[in-house]
Amino acid sequence: MEGASPPLTPPTPLQVALAALGTAPCPRYPVSVDRDEIVRVLKALAEEGVQYILIGAAAMGFHGLVRATEDLDLLIHPTAENVERLKRAFRRAYDNDPNVEEITASDLLGEYPAIRYYPPSGDLYFDVLTRLGEVASFATVESEIKELEDVPVRVATPLALYRLKRGTVRPLDHHDAEALRQAFDLEEE
Amino acid sequence: MGVKRFRSAEDMNASAALLVRQGGFERFLRHCARYWRLAPRVYPRGVVKFRSIEEAQRARAHIARENAQRLHRRCAEPE
Repeated sequence: MEGASPPLTPPTPLQVALAALGTAPCPRYPVSVDRDEIVRVLKALAEEGVQYILIGAAAMGFHGLVRATEDLDLLIHPTAENVERLKRAFRRAYDNDPNVEEITASDLLGEYPAIRYYPPSGDLYFDVLTRLGEVASFATVESEIKELEDVPVRVATPLALYRLKRGTVRPLDHHDAEALRQAFDLEEE
Repeated sequence: MGVKRFRSAEDMNASAALLVRQGGFERFLRHCARYWRLAPRVYPRGVVKFRSIEEAQRARAHIARENAQRLHRRCAEPE
């Protein structure tokens, strides 16, 4: 699918209206970040052997720079086998969500190097990337292993995050890059 | 340091971000949870494909704008 995604289970008009008014939670849209869900996803990624590097705000969190985000950014090794591992991990974490089948190696290795997966539950979504423009890929981004509840998580280093963020157009990325530079005494390059 | 003083808001904004030495990711998760309680989002579900990072960022900005407008309408409702 491109540019739009149908909901799994359409809510009733009353549910949508109440949720929009903030007077009742919509069943499809829970309203708190579920820590256990994130741990479950990271564990599934590890157990399926997905080759990925966590980048973005979540990676900054691992390094001690904390800001809120709505997504987890995964830069993955661009092979068909790895995409299959990723799909297995998402299926495992999200109870065989049928939407996972829309993630394909032919897209990620071809014309669509970025896909966004909105799981059926939870508040975070996932940006899965096989390359970042012409500047970075799984092979070129430096990373290190962190742990969360004994789950190994491969995280981009502060310097790698700084390099990724300083060259983008988003003001928020520039702010992140400056925070990284100051926190880790990174040199301007 | 319990309190840090600034001579202006600009100085405050230019100060270094707090670096958490231990438990940064746990703090990140708690921060995201607070953020969500303050401003619950509505997302589509499923998979969306993008030809470039820029395209993905435009889509993100569009949904962020929709959410901001929805939250603004909610706040504007008389009690």
